[in-house]
Amino acid sequence: MIDINTVITGLGIAGNQVSIPLVQQMLDLLPEIPMVKLIISFILWKPFFAALICPGFTTLGILLLFFPWIERKLCGRIQWRVGPHEIVWWLGGIIQLLADSLRFLFQEVIVHKDAHRPYFLQFPFLTFIPALLPLMFIPAGNIVAIETPYAIQIILAIICLFPLFILGLGWASNSRFAFIGTVREAFMYFAYEVPFIIAVLAMIVLYGTSDPVGIANKQTIWGIILNPIAALTFFIAAAMATSRMPFEIPEADQELAAGPHVEYSGIAFGLIYVLCYEKAYVLAGLMAILFLGGGSGPAIAGLGDLSGVIWFLLKVVIVLTTLFALRTIYPRYRLDQGLSIGWGALLSLSLIALALSIVLVQGGVI
Amino acid sequence: MEEGDKDRNIRILRSGVFTPLRRWGTKWSLWPCHFVTSCCGVELAHAFACGFDGERLGTLNMGISRQANFIIVEGTITRKMARALRIVWEQMPDPKFVNVIGACGQRGGIFWNSYNLTRPSEIVPVDFFIPGCPITPEGLLRGVRAVQEKIEGRDRTTIKFKTAELPSEGGKGKESRLPTTAKIFAPTPLIKVDVPKEVDWDFGRDLVKSLKAQLGGLYKSITITDKNRIAIKTTPENLVKVVRELSGTTGIDHVKNVNVIDVPHERKFIVEYMVSSYSEELMPVIITVFTEIGREAEPVFPSLTALWESVDYSEREMHDFFGIRFEGNEGMNGKFLLAPETQTPLRKDFKLEEERYVLEDGVPFAPKIELPSDLKMPVSEELLEEAEKSDDFVVLVGPHHTGSGHLRWIMRLKGDLIVDIIPDPGYVHRSMEKLAENRLYIQNIPLFERANISDPFNMNLGYVRAIEKALGIEVPERAKYIRTIMAELSRIGAFFYDSGILSLFTGHSTGFMYVWAIREMILEAVVRMTGSRCTPSFIIPGGIRRDISDDVLNMTSNFTSAINKRLRKFEDIFIYNPVFIARTKGVGVLTREEAIRYGIVGPFLRASGVDYDIRKVEPYEAYDKLDWEVTTGDAGDSLGRYMGRYEEIKQSLRILKQAVDAVKRMPRGEVISEEVLGEYREASKDIKGHLFHAYGNLVLPKGEWTSVTEAGRGTLLYSIISDGESNVPYRVRIVTPCWMNLRGIIEASKGERVADFWAVYGSFGYFPPEADR
Amino acid sequence: MKKVTVQEQGLGEKVVRHATAIGVAMKESVYPLTATVFYPRERKKMPDNLRGYLMFDPDKCISCWECAFVCPANAIQMKAAPNERYYPTVDYGKCIFCHFCVDSCSGGALKTTKIHDVAYKDMDEMLTLTEEMIEEPEIIREDKKSVEYVIDEHDLHLKRVREVDTLFVEVTPPVEIPMVSQCIDRASCIGCRVCEEVCESGAISSSIERGVLRMKIDTDKCTGCGLCVKECSMQILRLVKK
Repeated sequence: MIDINTVITGLGIAGNQVSIPLVQQMLDLLPEIPMVKLIISFILWKPFFAALICPGFTTLGILLLFFPWIERKLCGRIQWRVGPHEIVWWLGGIIQLLADSLRFLFQEVIVHKDAHRPYFLQFPFLTFIPALLPLMFIPAGNIVAIETPYAIQIILAIICLFPLFILGLGWASNSRFAFIGTVREAFMYFAYEVPFIIAVLAMIVLYGTSDPVGIANKQTIWGIILNPIAALTFFIAAAMATSRMPFEIPEADQELAAGPHVEYSGIAFGLIYVLCYEKAYVLAGLMAILFLGGGSGPAIAGLGDLSGVIWFLLKVVIVLTTLFALRTIYPRYRLDQGLSIGWGALLSLSLIALALSIVLVQGGVI
Repeated sequence: MEEGDKDRNIRILRSGVFTPLRRWGTKWSLWPCHFVTSCCGVELAHAFACGFDGERLGTLNMGISRQANFIIVEGTITRKMARALRIVWEQMPDPKFVNVIGACGQRGGIFWNSYNLTRPSEIVPVDFFIPGCPITPEGLLRGVRAVQEKIEGRDRTTIKFKTAELPSEGGKGKESRLPTTAKIFAPTPLIKVDVPKEVDWDFGRDLVKSLKAQLGGLYKSITITDKNRIAIKTTPENLVKVVRELSGTTGIDHVKNVNVIDVPHERKFIVEYMVSSYSEELMPVIITVFTEIGREAEPVFPSLTALWESVDYSEREMHDFFGIRFEGNEGMNGKFLLAPETQTPLRKDFKLEEERYVLEDGVPFAPKIELPSDLKMPVSEELLEEAEKSDDFVVLVGPHHTGSGHLRWIMRLKGDLIVDIIPDPGYVHRSMEKLAENRLYIQNIPLFERANISDPFNMNLGYVRAIEKALGIEVPERAKYIRTIMAELSRIGAFFYDSGILSLFTGHSTGFMYVWAIREMILEAVVRMTGSRCTPSFIIPGGIRRDISDDVLNMTSNFTSAINKRLRKFEDIFIYNPVFIARTKGVGVLTREEAIRYGIVGPFLRASGVDYDIRKVEPYEAYDKLDWEVTTGDAGDSLGRYMGRYEEIKQSLRILKQAVDAVKRMPRGEVISEEVLGEYREASKDIKGHLFHAYGNLVLPKGEWTSVTEAGRGTLLYSIISDGESNVPYRVRIVTPCWMNLRGIIEASKGERVADFWAVYGSFGYFPPEADR
Repeated sequence: MKKVTVQEQGLGEKVVRHATAIGVAMKESVYPLTATVFYPRERKKMPDNLRGYLMFDPDKCISCWECAFVCPANAIQMKAAPNERYYPTVDYGKCIFCHFCVDSCSGGALKTTKIHDVAYKDMDEMLTLTEEMIEEPEIIREDKKSVEYVIDEHDLHLKRVREVDTLFVEVTPPVEIPMVSQCIDRASCIGCRVCEEVCESGAISSSIERGVLRMKIDTDKCTGCGLCVKECSMQILRLVKK
């Protein structure tokens, strides 16, 4: 009989385990059933843990299920009302999104006559590729799926694919509002992408590395304090990229009836509805790493590696909340104003940020 | 949708073990796609704003039909709108639900015999009906609960009546006859627009003298019909000359009203233009230039569009109503306000269904309505071809669109710039003018109020003042002040309504919620005064229905200071928000000359620099006794229009405070003029019990009675033509401010960017039901 | 006259205004001025004069038809009761809740309730017959608390009370103005007896004396409803004070 430990070692997953002291003893006490041990070891294998649990699928799923609720509740609060509530009123309607997603799941998906059927149905699913791939490179604490020194660049490259899929959605819909929305999306894409990349570049210059774990470790002082201009640029560009207020220009509910998404219904719309949350999640993760010290923070006793994960998630949620609370504060800019902000103010800000980084590096601050 | 296309759709897990999950999900996720056609829309907004917050029940507003699963029909579905309702319903994915709220969508409510009405229940399957006119927010949420329970399997009406025994003793034991109708129609009424009246008005006599000298042989007669009212009779050939002369020398610069009166028994139409001036001394004077033309199938009449662009839409409207062809107006092909199949409905030979006063066989009576046969909402082919040629992009915004209001805007775009916008109104045209010809004077009060229930008191006040003017009634002092309070409350309410809509149009939902909290306060004051949140029908000829209590007065007085706390937050988050300023400043500029030429009215005209406020020019109620200022501006852009109105509201709060203090000091006493009550003068403190006695047989003296009122959104003109014998008006013409402002919106948006349209549209406070009437 | 001008915001002011807007949002997220009534679990207290569903008292009704005549929506139609009198029925599919009927009812037979939130699953059910308007109807209610709006000098407050609000109110009867019908020109009477036939209270009687028809109005029985005045073919009847 093969010794299970040999297998685990043989697979090369033994040395790279997530260590959680609090439950370690419990894990050790588990009966020596071969398969259970194998499965647990496999789950706790860092790359797998990152992809499957955090920051991967599970966290994303939970976030998608609860974050819109948090957003709706927070907006409700700022707007002097309560938001979703009656579904389980003693918990403040916390499972609202479960109801919404079930409803979408069971609803009819209408494919209208003018739509290009295959693409119309494929694109909502295809968009998950750029949404999920970056998660492979984003570390939560020191847990990461794929470690590479070029992680930040890869993340950026994948994020840049996003608008292409939205263009695809709009194109396949073949509707006038979707068309205008798609064109607007394309315009905005160029306006924010350049400053966005420069802002990230500024941080890479500052840290001298583009390995996310390395960046996080280097931040004895958080990036947001070292280079606040880059942080501001990044944040505004993120708001543009996820089309949040005041840059909700491609979707513009009152003008274009949600732009590229106007023709989607049922689960296809459900997937698109969560798309911007996914994108925001990726960007917030990136922001947490670049500017907020990633998973750093006082270690929580007994949680081991999970401590970093929790700090990371906390920062992500704070960034997300701020990003989404913007819609209670601002009206929407016009397209030309959005573009001029992107190409004007934001681009200058990003260049200043880059200059600042160079000065800081030359000055030997970091 | 054709049958074959349906197969393209995808249905997942339609039945089986997942049914409970599916039911539960649908129950808590009813996303309504609204049909906010008219009045009920205001209460709907209250139901989903911070006062009641419909989102609590999981009903998130979603304006897009594909993603919603619940239609709430709020208000009238007209013949034009019926098509849109059917299309939207078909666009929605299964499972879907429909609630109809408000009497309009059930058996028609006050519009039950309108020629332009349809019943939603005959167009789409309806799950629940919620009575009310308008419904209260609670009613709407009760409807949502009822649908939720229906999904759970409990489909029930939420009220249970107990049947009691009716008295069976004391039969008359004799043959009896049922009373006929309360209405009296003169068989061949004498219609005269220029009934002379002796008034103390020296300026007018001089004016008539100078007009006579100036017009020479162009006129037939010039009469003073009332103070500040002059009627000039002329021939159809000379009309244009007279008007050109007036605009050239006298300084008349705008048209307030275009009206046609059908007199079938004399085989003629009377066509009249009411013109006036914004120059200082002529401001209060309204000159009616009228003429008579033969009553043919399609009589031809010279158009005045070349002179004043502001008459354009009104002439098209008259073309729809009477079939008169205004030579020179471009819009004479096809219908403007009405559905294509409707025939000249305001001609007297177009009869409406008569009231029935006896219930027959327990069947509720409602006239039969023929539905439009096809679902097409045509756009002119020429336009499309022309746009194709010049490489423009044509977008149809509305009538069911999150930001269209209930009319259709046909936009021609060149890139991001608006080349042209063609309005397609009439989706909420409920035919008030026709209905008014078939109702008692007193019954028209609730009717006209429904033109605009975000500004109900001013709508009442205008109509009632026209009647009072005709009867020569002086209103008791206390009633005057209370009416002033009501009118100002209503003006403030209308402003906040528009602020909310503007903030939604610019994408700012918080601004909307904040002002709706303020509106909730206003409505609380209104409901305590009158018993109804939005449709008070409280102002009646001679005064108000009953006195209001001191508690409510205190509350109103508190309101003037309590509003500040929330208003300041609204200012900080919306009005002075740099993004809002950037969106509205310098957008949709109308200069003083343009504003007058396009005929815009009210605060929007003042924002372009015209100092014209009827409350100062021709003071009514208690406005001349209170201390306040008219607000004007120079910018003439969206921000200027909005801020001008905002400043005006601060003045309104000043008026309100003073008026409430004055009423508090006054002794309690009569609130209805004894002159109008006659025998029933004991009811002068409270009309309860005697409304019909006192007003049922109200007959106005012969002639045309015109009143102008400064409503929340501008000049509101009522013109009542009475034959002096009937207790129903012969014709009532309403010119609402929004109808006049429509042209302004179009002209201000041309050349701006697409997104600017909403900033312009919102800044004009356009309220489609008010415009379409 | 007051002139309103709006200045362009400078960079400094813009920054301040951005900060204030964000400040308001932050403050409201911590300490909001929430003004939400949790309907259906609680119910907003409406004033007693709220114009809601109608109730009817046949004992006070004089069958004057005025509610039907004044109804602008033609929602009130009269229906014969077993005692041959005509009583109102209300079609809530048409009713606009203007309560002109209540204000026209001189006997105070019609009165208001505070019911205003009802959903019907069928339009035919919306017709409420006279016999259903006499006793208090039952509606589905889920509320345990009632909320009152209090507006003081500073703000709007919601006062929550743990009690179920009653929806049926006592109303004061209208001022009585006793009127009777009187014939002002007996000589013109053509004896068509419309007045007698239309009178619901049997106050008008006719008799033939020496071959001449004589109409008699019993002032005690006359309710002053005015139906005879309205229907008189010669227009010789008037209402006068008793």
